[in-house]
Amino acid sequence: MKAQLGFTRRTFAIGVTGVLALLGLGGASRLVQEKPLTRPPGGQDEDDFIGACLRCEKCLEVCPAQVIVPATVEAGFLNTRTPTMNFKLGWCDYCKDYNGGSPKCVDVCPTAALKLAVDSTPENTIIGKAYIVKDWCLGWQGKGCRICLEQCPYDAITTDEYSRIRVKYDACNGCGRCEFVCVSLMSGSYTPGATDRAITIKPTQIVDFLLANEVNG
Amino acid sequence: MKSLSAKSFRTITITAVVLVVMIGYVTRSELGNLSALGWGLITAICPLGFLETMLASKTLIPQALISFIVIVIVVIVFGKFFCAWICPTALIQRILPKRSKKKETANISEAADYADDCGTNSNVVNKQLHLAEACKGKHKNIKLDSRHMVLGGTLLSSALFGFPVFCLVCPVGLSFATLLVIMRLFTNGEATFTVLLFPAILILELIVFRKWCTKICPLGACVSLLSGLNRFFRPHIDDNKCLVTAENKECYRCSKACNVEKINLRFPSKSGGSMNDCSKCRECSDSCPTNAIKFPFLPKNLEREKPVLPTKHFSTKNE
Ligand code: SF4
Ligand code: SF4
Ligand code: SF4
Ligand code: SF4
Ligand code: SF4
Repeated sequence: MKAQLGFTRRTFAIGVTGVLALLGLGGASRLVQEKPLTRPPGGQDEDDFIGACLRCEKCLEVCPAQVIVPATVEAGFLNTRTPTMNFKLGWCDYCKDYNGGSPKCVDVCPTAALKLAVDSTPENTIIGKAYIVKDWCLGWQGKGCRICLEQCPYDAITTDEYSRIRVKYDACNGCGRCEFVCVSLMSGSYTPGATDRAITIKPTQIVDFLLANEVNG
Repeated sequence: MKSLSAKSFRTITITAVVLVVMIGYVTRSELGNLSALGWGLITAICPLGFLETMLASKTLIPQALISFIVIVIVVIVFGKFFCAWICPTALIQRILPKRSKKKETANISEAADYADDCGTNSNVVNKQLHLAEACKGKHKNIKLDSRHMVLGGTLLSSALFGFPVFCLVCPVGLSFATLLVIMRLFTNGEATFTVLLFPAILILELIVFRKWCTKICPLGACVSLLSGLNRFFRPHIDDNKCLVTAENKECYRCSKACNVEKINLRFPSKSGGSMNDCSKCRECSDSCPTNAIKFPFLPKNLEREKPVLPTKHFSTKNE
C-alpha cells in the first residue's frame, strides 16, 4: 500500500527544513548590521517601517518626483527592495505640486509601512539631513557657487561669516533639492577626488556621526 | 478549428497579468503588482503578506483586513485558481529548462502505478469490477503537508523577528522585482548585483527545487486552506460519458493528467492530492477523450439524482 497521508517522512523533513530556513533567514537578517537608509515620508520609524513593508514597490511607482528607488542588495539583504530615496533623480516636495501636499507614497502604501501622524508637516518629517563635503564644494573653494542655497525650499542653507556654505541642521528636512541641483560633479566643475556630489542627504544618524567627528567644525 | 489547450490558455492569462503590471508600471498607472494590486480601497493585498505584516508590526490595518476578507470570499468561490492561472511561477517553471527529465517521467510512472494498483487482478471481470468500485469513494477535502508547516514557519518568523521574512524570498514578489530591476537597469542605468541575485534565488527555488509549489509554497498553503471551503467549479466526471463507468473500459488519462497536484479524479482512493488543492487548471478535462469532465458552478451530486426521479415519475403517470 502506498501511503496516502500528506505527511510522509520526506514531506515532514522538507517542512522542518523550510521552517528552519525561514527562522534562520529572519535571524540572520536581524543580526547583520544593516546600513541605515533614507526612507520616503512616513517611513522614519525604521522598526515600524521594516515590520510592515511588503516590498510591493508601489510607493516608487506612484512618486510623481520619481525620487524613490528600490534598495539594492548592496544595502543589505533585509533592505533589498524596500524604498529608499535617490536624490540624483529628483527631490521630494511632499507632493505639493502634484497632489496638493498629501504624500502619494503614504496614500498608496497598502500596509501603512509609510504613515504620517496627523500633525505631520514637511518641516517635521525628517527624511534625512544634508551634509556638505567641504573639499568637494565649489562654494567652499571660493568659486562662488550658491546654487543649493538659492534652491533650498526651507531656507536651510546659509553662509557663515567667511561666506562659506553651511547647512542649518534644524531647518533641514532632507527634501533633497540641494543634492539634486548640486553642480559639483558636473563637467567643468570637477573636483579632484570627489566620488559624489558635494552636498548629499544621509540618514540623520549618519550625519550626526559625521558632524560629531568633524575636526574643525 | 481545434480550440486552445488549457495550458495555452493559462500561459496567456499569466502573461497578460505580467504585461498589465509592466505596462502599468511604465505608464505610472499606480496599479502595482501582485503584492498589492489595484487602486486605493480596491486593492488586493497578498493575503500572506497581510498576515505576515500584521504579526510583524502588531497592528491591524482596516483596509488590509477588508482586502483579506474579499480574497477569502474569492477563494471560496473560485478555489485555488490563482496557482494555475495567475501566479507567474507556473510560467517560469514552464519556460526555463527543466532540471532533468527523470523526475517528469517518474510522475507518470507513479500515475501508472495507481493504474496497476487499480487493476492488480489478471481476471478481466474482476478487474472491471475493481475499477468500477474504485470510481466510487470520496475525495479527501483537505491535505496537510510540508507547505502548511512552512506557512507556520512564515508566520512564526514574522512574529519573532518583526518583519515579513518570507517576503524577502517570495518567488512571486521576486518575479516582479526581477522585471522591475531589469527595467530600471535600462531606463535609469542602475547597475547592481540585485539583477543577478533575484534570478538566482528564483532559479534555486523553482528550478533546482522543482517541487516548490506542492511542497513548500506557504502562499499556496494559505490559499489551499481557504479553498477547503470551495464547492464551486470543482471538476466533476459525468459517469454517463466516462469510458470506465459507461463502457467498462480502462482509462487512466485523467488519473495521470493532474501532474502538479496529483489528484486522481477518477479513482479517489488512489489520489495523491486533495480537492482543495485543485487549481482548476483543466488539464484533466483536456485529457479526457470523451469530454466527460466539466467544472460546473454547483456540485453535481444533487443534480445527478434529480433528472432521474422526475422522469420516471412522469412516465408512470402518463401510462
Ligand atoms: S511625498 Fe511625494 S514626492 Fe515625496 S517621496 Fe512621497 S510620493 Fe515622492
Ligand atoms: S508602498 Fe509601502 S509596503 Fe509597498 S514598498 Fe512602499 S513602503 Fe513598502
Ligand atoms: S538643505 Fe537640502 S535637503 Fe535640507 S531642506 Fe534644504 S534643499 Fe532640502
Ligand atoms: S483536478 Fe484537474 S483541474 Fe484540478 S488541478 Fe488537477 S488537473 Fe487541474
Ligand atoms: S479521462 Fe475521461 S474517460 Fe478517461 S477515466 Fe477520466 S473521465 Fe473517464
